[in-house]
Amino acid sequence: MKISSPQHRAKRISMSIAAVASFAMLASCSVANSEPEAGGGDAGTDDTLTVVLTQEPPTLEACDANLTSTGVVVRSTVTEPLIERNPTTGDLEPLLATDWEQTGDTEWTFTMREDVTFQDGTPFDAAAAAHSIDRAVNGDLGCDVEGYIFGDDDLEVEAVDETTLTVTTPAPDPILPLKLSFIEIVSADTPADEMAREPVGTGPYAIAEWQAGTSITLDRDEDYWDAAPEFAHVEYQWRSEGTVRAAMVTSGEADIALGLSPEDGAGDLGVSYPNNETIALRFSGQTAPLDDIRIRQAINYAIDKDTIVSSLYPDGDKVAAELIPEGIVGYNDSLEPWPYDLDKAKALVEEAKADGTPVDEKILMPVRTAQFPKVSELGEVLREQISQAGLNIELRMVDTTQHLQYQTKPFVTDEGPIAMLIQHGNQAGDAQFSVEQYMLTGAAQAEFGDPELDELIKAAAKLTGDERQAAYEEVFQYEHDNVVALAPIAHQTVMLALSDRVTYEPNSSTGDELRIKEVSLAG
Amino acid sequence: MWTYLRKRILQSALPLVAVVLGVFVLARLTGDPSKLYLPLNATDQMRSDFAARNGFDKPIWEQMGDYFLGVLQFDFGESLRTGESAATMVLRAFPATLQLAGTTMIIAIVVAIVVGSWAALKPNGIADRIVSFFAMVAAAVPDFWLAILGIWIFAITLGWLPTSGTDGGVSVWVLPIATLLLRPVGVLAQIVRGSMVTVLGQPYVNVARSRGAGQMRIVTHHALRNAAAPALTVAGDLTVSMVNGAVIVESIFGWPGIGKLMIDSILQRDFAVLQAAVLLTALAIFVLNILIDLGYAALDPRVRPAAKAGRGPKAASEKQEAAAHV
Repeated sequence: MKISSPQHRAKRISMSIAAVASFAMLASCSVANSEPEAGGGDAGTDDTLTVVLTQEPPTLEACDANLTSTGVVVRSTVTEPLIERNPTTGDLEPLLATDWEQTGDTEWTFTMREDVTFQDGTPFDAAAAAHSIDRAVNGDLGCDVEGYIFGDDDLEVEAVDETTLTVTTPAPDPILPLKLSFIEIVSADTPADEMAREPVGTGPYAIAEWQAGTSITLDRDEDYWDAAPEFAHVEYQWRSEGTVRAAMVTSGEADIALGLSPEDGAGDLGVSYPNNETIALRFSGQTAPLDDIRIRQAINYAIDKDTIVSSLYPDGDKVAAELIPEGIVGYNDSLEPWPYDLDKAKALVEEAKADGTPVDEKILMPVRTAQFPKVSELGEVLREQISQAGLNIELRMVDTTQHLQYQTKPFVTDEGPIAMLIQHGNQAGDAQFSVEQYMLTGAAQAEFGDPELDELIKAAAKLTGDERQAAYEEVFQYEHDNVVALAPIAHQTVMLALSDRVTYEPNSSTGDELRIKEVSLAG
Repeated sequence: MWTYLRKRILQSALPLVAVVLGVFVLARLTGDPSKLYLPLNATDQMRSDFAARNGFDKPIWEQMGDYFLGVLQFDFGESLRTGESAATMVLRAFPATLQLAGTTMIIAIVVAIVVGSWAALKPNGIADRIVSFFAMVAAAVPDFWLAILGIWIFAITLGWLPTSGTDGGVSVWVLPIATLLLRPVGVLAQIVRGSMVTVLGQPYVNVARSRGAGQMRIVTHHALRNAAAPALTVAGDLTVSMVNGAVIVESIFGWPGIGKLMIDSILQRDFAVLQAAVLLTALAIFVLNILIDLGYAALDPRVRPAAKAGRGPKAASEKQEAAAHV
């Protein structure tokens, strides 16, 4: 006989409430912050292109667009620069500026394109361009492009009239147009004293919605000044796992997946392409034994680059002779990579040892985890190969922030000699950006330098055309022969996946700026 | 009840402060974040501007003081990475994890109770052995591997489910929950089975049987309540670690939860967001622990705090009555 006491009743009521609550939660079945779409993640809607990135952009602020995770969405899609560099030919092409010329030692004049409006309806003119440049380069926002391209220099900009803009540099700068290709032009209404997470530009797509954590949606701007791109909408999502990104394309949930490696399972839908990144070891040439050039040369001879490329990166990586790949102004194509010669390496070490160089001193090799596919395997191989030359080298896998302590000034000076693995991408297309970071004495990533090399570097920066090309070639040759600050290893490739639905030719800039207007429906 | 709550709140305040302080100091010992946020060739001027903008040039005691003053005014700082308010980012991410963890734990508890009880009915019988085996496998399997396997089988090969993401109704929940579910079910089923075996061997269960109570009634009405305490402890522990962030599942399936946010802010040295995330998670755990305590009290009348205190108004008047009768 059951006695239903008030306690029993209360308990039953509370359990029923709990049960109902849990069913309600399940039934509501929409994840916080996301709205279930009618189509349910189906990339089959003809008018929407779905792209899956490696991470959520921290911001879409246009003056940070040289940051890969921001630029891949913004550059030439939401916003546009005055001038655009063609990644294949290296030529500068007109975009929002139709013409430009150097009109003084330190002055350049640009002609603005007419009949262009921003996505908010305001007109594009020289004043808007001036505002964008001023905001990005001269302001206090701490824009990434300011540091990356212009350093401490400020530019004087003046909108002479609606279609004419003059830019004056502190010192003669033959590559100012190339530098300006990094400044995305935003609406004149963009505040100059705060960052704009969702910029208004002149590009073919305007930002429609940013569901934080979930997706970014762009809508085609029907008033775009150039030919209309094929897709009416673009949706960006992100997954940190490469296998999941590849799976989204193979299962039809996405059209393009970036940042893949061959093991991610994209199969036939994967496309490998060179991405301008070069990997190398960088030496702390002020600490023994790395202050002895013979040891640095020995390390170069001890690394078997051909085997590394053919076994770890067979999809198109090339052995590197210098810090920049082909296609960058200043690339020296007659410079041969250091050959693999273990005997020579050993002989150099012995010679240095006989002269008193402490070759048994432990050399530290910091390598950044997950920097690129198979980076830890590469670290192990390098350690093994360098040890065979008779040197004492230790591999240390570190995370990004720790790696950066070794990489940039002020360097780590209390851990002995360091030969760290670096990955350098020359996005700009000109050797100046590489040599002035890695080889100039006192530069942000140069641990030591050579006064003669410094002279060559400074002289080269002032030249144009063929003279510039020849001058930088000489810089690389001199560095190779007399300085050996680096041990270049390989020029890298990266992979993306394309669904059968779309056609797109990736190029070396794809990872930095995915130009949606270049993507079209297949067939 | 309120005395009890007040006491618990005060008790938890100090550990909470200690946790946030600890994270504050430790995070800043890991290296200079300006190298992450400024371009590689940034000049010294830029680095000092960055430090000044974010208060990193002040001594750590001052930074701490500023931070706690801000917290008292509900200002948890801004993300170095995105510029958004840290509180906004954390409060936005938390519900997603809560939904995932909450749903998973409820299903896990129900399944574990059913499966564990069934196994306990005949110790060392066939059902028991099967359940124990699968429970141990489930508790041991690595969730990273399971998630990728699940995607490969059900999304790519069979096409029944989406690979990842949060758009798409019920189907997006299946793989993440299934992955997260295995270990709690495995662990809890074993616990339930163990304590049910103990309880079912007690004399009062025999008495109930002899009075004609059916198997169902014995298990649900008599045995479960008594066997529940250890399971509740472990379930609470498992929920805590899930609330802390089902990081792997969130990363793989692109779930915008707090686990992923915490890992990202650690890797990016995004101090404000990390501190806010830790604070919120610690608060959630503290609330959870109170709920678990209340759960014990609900299950077992002997544990109820009010009866023990002897200081409540009802108890006092009872004492007066007793005294009056003497």
